[in-house]
Amino acid sequence: MKTAGRVLAAKIRSIKESKAFGIRSSELPTWCPGCGYFGIHQGLNACIQELGLPHHQVVTVSGIGCAGRSPFFIDTYGLHTVHGRTLPVATGVKLANPKLTVFAIGGDGDGLAIGGGHLPHVARRDVNINYLLFDNSIYGLTKGQPSPSSPTGTKTKASPYGTHDRPLNATLLALTYGASFVARLFAGDPAGIKRALMEGTRHPGFAIFHIYTSCVTFDKFFKTWANLKKWVHPLPEDHDPSDLRQAFDQVLEDEFSTGIVYSRKYPLPGVS
Amino acid sequence: MPKVDVTVEVCGMAGDGTIAAGGLINEAMASGGFSVLGFDSYPAEIRGFGRCVARSRIGSEPILALGDQTHVLISLNDEQSGVRVPFLAYNALVFFDSNPPVYLNEKQSVAAAVEPGMTLIGIPFSDLATSASGSARGRNLTALGGFAAVCGAAPELFRNMITKKFKAKGEKVLESNLKSFDAGYYYALSNLSDRMRPLFALPEQSDVAGRLIMSGNEAIGKAALDAGVLLYFGYPITPATPIMEYLAKHLPTRGGAVIQMEDEISSIGAVLGSFYAGTRAMTATSGPGFALMTELITHGVMAEIPAVILNAQRGGPSTGLPTKTEQSDLHAAVFGGPGDSARIVIAPTNVEECYYYTVMGFQLAERYQTPVIVLTDFYLDNRVEDLPVPEASEWEKADGNLYPAADSKGTYKRYAVNESGISPRAIPGAEGFAYTATGLEHTERGTPDYSPENHMLMTEKRYRKIWGALADLPAPVEFSARGSMDLGVIGWGSTFGAILEAVDTARSLGYRVGALKITSIYPYHVQEIKDFMSRCHQVLVPELNYSGQLANVIGHLCGKELIRLNQVTGVPFSPSAILARIERILKAGAL
Amino acid sequence: MSEEHFVIIGNGPAANEAALTLRERDSKARITIVGQELKGQYKPHLLPDFIAGAIEEDDLYLTGPAFFKERNIKLRLGQKVVGADFRGGWIILEHKEIIPFSGLIIATGARPRIPETVQIFEDLMLTLKTPADAKVWIDRLSEVDSVVLVGGDLVSLSVTDALVSLGKRVNFVIDEESFWPVPFSYEIREQVARRLVARGVRVLSGCRLMRVRRLSATSLEVVTDCETLHAGILGAFFGLIPNVKFLSRTGLDIERGILVDEHLKTRFDHVYAAGDCAQVYHPAIRNYWVSIGYENARLLGRIAALNLLGGKFTVEVARESIFRMDSIRVNTSWWMEL
Repeated sequence: MKTAGRVLAAKIRSIKESKAFGIRSSELPTWCPGCGYFGIHQGLNACIQELGLPHHQVVTVSGIGCAGRSPFFIDTYGLHTVHGRTLPVATGVKLANPKLTVFAIGGDGDGLAIGGGHLPHVARRDVNINYLLFDNSIYGLTKGQPSPSSPTGTKTKASPYGTHDRPLNATLLALTYGASFVARLFAGDPAGIKRALMEGTRHPGFAIFHIYTSCVTFDKFFKTWANLKKWVHPLPEDHDPSDLRQAFDQVLEDEFSTGIVYSRKYPLPGVS
Repeated sequence: MPKVDVTVEVCGMAGDGTIAAGGLINEAMASGGFSVLGFDSYPAEIRGFGRCVARSRIGSEPILALGDQTHVLISLNDEQSGVRVPFLAYNALVFFDSNPPVYLNEKQSVAAAVEPGMTLIGIPFSDLATSASGSARGRNLTALGGFAAVCGAAPELFRNMITKKFKAKGEKVLESNLKSFDAGYYYALSNLSDRMRPLFALPEQSDVAGRLIMSGNEAIGKAALDAGVLLYFGYPITPATPIMEYLAKHLPTRGGAVIQMEDEISSIGAVLGSFYAGTRAMTATSGPGFALMTELITHGVMAEIPAVILNAQRGGPSTGLPTKTEQSDLHAAVFGGPGDSARIVIAPTNVEECYYYTVMGFQLAERYQTPVIVLTDFYLDNRVEDLPVPEASEWEKADGNLYPAADSKGTYKRYAVNESGISPRAIPGAEGFAYTATGLEHTERGTPDYSPENHMLMTEKRYRKIWGALADLPAPVEFSARGSMDLGVIGWGSTFGAILEAVDTARSLGYRVGALKITSIYPYHVQEIKDFMSRCHQVLVPELNYSGQLANVIGHLCGKELIRLNQVTGVPFSPSAILARIERILKAGAL
Repeated sequence: MSEEHFVIIGNGPAANEAALTLRERDSKARITIVGQELKGQYKPHLLPDFIAGAIEEDDLYLTGPAFFKERNIKLRLGQKVVGADFRGGWIILEHKEIIPFSGLIIATGARPRIPETVQIFEDLMLTLKTPADAKVWIDRLSEVDSVVLVGGDLVSLSVTDALVSLGKRVNFVIDEESFWPVPFSYEIREQVARRLVARGVRVLSGCRLMRVRRLSATSLEVVTDCETLHAGILGAFFGLIPNVKFLSRTGLDIERGILVDEHLKTRFDHVYAAGDCAQVYHPAIRNYWVSIGYENARLLGRIAALNLLGGKFTVEVARESIFRMDSIRVNTSWWMEL
């Protein structure tokens, strides 16, 4: 007991001392202890701090779901909108004031189910927003229903006999829709998230971060921390993110490799 | 000076230049100082088969509505024109091609359809156009020439408009078109002297320099530009698409853009995102698209984010009648969406008001931090009227936002409750005022809160704020003598023009009637409406919807049962239909 | 019977009587009257009264469009027939419209005749057949005070009365070329001349019109073989000839008018002719006669309609009342009202 208390205190101290603390809002997150979203936020906060983005120039736009609560926990401007419409609202914000850095945040339900129709278009338009898709393959806020990325046979109260549908692969979709920056990440690796976010934020087009995470309360079988830690591994060293075909091959072969899967090189201005 | 009030119709098959001819009539007559109201109908399908009718009412006094009957029909395709004959006045003039390229059978000939009292005026359009310009394509202009001659319209008005329109296409095209027009004009003068029917004695006033012909859609587009809109997000839908197209052309010249989104949901989403970030944006749609926007509109209400949405109503429900007019989205605009989501709904009644109300919409949206819905309809959007060049004043275009005071940095509460209900709104980029706007019920600071007292408090705040907008919303306008009336007629949208004409006629016949124009649909001016109603022995509300949607909203203000006149025929009310009802009511009620 | 379309060309007494008769007997068929004149049926015998100023223009007209609408008869005015295909069963209008018919009655009437010998002076003469003509008379009479009338038919006598009532000076040349109602005999001519003189008219009997010359806007020189006259107006009343030119290449038998049998049928089944434009076969004289006049026209119109519907009626005309005038035969049985 005492050890746990000392560990907790040390953790709190380190958080307070880290640069990441300054960006947290005074609201306490409503996520369950052990939720992967804490890790993602660590990465996001660190990214904003390290890039030196003034907090009042950052807008987080979110949809509905546990992921959607994110704007309340971060000390930037936020827009908590309706289910599935994160991307178009974020588009409006960015076009209205291109000086703002816009992070769109949503879960796999928000992004692949109700919001699925918006992803192709924001990718086509290549709007310079940064989209974090928190993929825990479950609907947590509504207490455990299958999501478009749940594997076949997922059993929940809404699907007691197991689902029949095949899951969507968000990274593959992003590549198919022509997104110009695609990263696949793991909530258990906040540092990796930070690095990818920094590069993607600097990327002058649409950047999508497909982040595997765990819902400790409602998913005890698929994306558990144990499973994820077992499956997730970095992309091969020689992976060339500028090669679209390689990106497709990689993603088709390997569902759990993480890193920057694809990043389109734009011609430099002034260079033909 | 004799009063001029003539309705002219050009009717033809798609491809005959019907609409162009109608447009020239509108522009020419407006440039002569006449008041003009024109409305065209097209075939519903794109394929190109089908009848085009360009109808214009031209007068020496302001025209308020289209009448029932047409006085002059110019037939560019007899087969199509035949069905228009029942709408002609008993002594109408009918211009037609007296030497068509092929023989027509009885069913295809407009001469077979006319009644004996009508005057047929045969002019060989095709032959004259071909000999004047080498092809029969200009025959619509030849027909206009004949019309100008027979009906005594100054040909220079037309020639000037033809020049204006075709100058850009080159000297050759322009000359050929003028020749086609002249061919018809001089033929008529030489051969039809026994059938002259001068209808257009030029009006006295000639301050026409500052007058334009504009459609409702163009007025709305210009209003958006003048209001400083930089971003338009939209999805094509009849009849709002022309607004998007107008802005797609003009916004880039102002550093703005039209972004065609993937659906109406993303359109309103982006508009809200834009206003949230401090830039005026707009979307325009019709019934089915508006329905999709409902959820986000209520989000804007709850999160107190401005937006401007134009709903160009058409026949409904559902896909309905895309190319027909109706006023049946009032309920959806005022009440649509979950919860008690009061928002501002305004409705212009003519083209000039389309401009000024759209400009006003932006200021209202910002000031009251709410979506503002501007309701128009197919008829109003597509019809043209003459009007003085619309120019919003600086005051009308001004920024309506209430920004937080600089010294409130540390204590800023985005949704602070106060008497007006309007809480200062920080725009992203302002340091020290960061907040999250949310569709969840929230505290003054904006964090989610579902407690009983808070929800009550916040709901009251939002309603108080919206109803406070009455101070800035145009009050109902009364057209009557002071004091009590036997009948008051209340209307909104494009129907009001027909109502006013009917009421004016009724008053000239000695009836004690009055009209009330309502343009603020929500919130509505309780006191003024109640006052008007109480001075009327009876109240009539004509609307182009089945259930009497305005009547439903304001009916409770009236001490007695409202009389409803509902029409869902897809075409606007004619003044005579309203007048007939007025007379029936007053005669029935007479002692 | 409902697919039937009966078409009547003309809008005079014969045409209108035919239309009404058809409608009486057949309530369902489509009936269309196609008339060249813009305004409706008028009473030709009232035209002189109109000129005299005794009646208004509106009093000339018989029935308004409402009359026909009530009876579901389509009235197409101001539209000219220019051709026909009787075997095929359609007529062609000037503006290239084809109207199919299942039954046709041609009742185009007749127009004032100008004898060939003086046709070159046609432009200098006024005739009187339509209200439009009457208006021209009224217009010109306001500027002149002397009139020469040439010819002699019933109309000319009424016109003479009108002119005298207006105080105009009238010279009446009873021309032998004219279409006089009864066989010319010296006695009849003298009788007529005396009647005219009694009305205050100067009569030149047995003279022939030779030449006409315009001297000024309101003055003409009229040269007969008797003497030379000066007048403001020259009125030509040489009788009427049928309006059938437009049918000349349609296969109909046409002499002066359309030749029809005693049932008023042309050589084509379902095509009849009635009124001033028709020449009717009389079995007793084995030849054709033309009838002129309002009452006759109505009668013929009625008979043609009845026969189109299957009847076999004939016009009762005593052979004695048929006179040969100017190479055609005329029924003048009702003309005894000098």
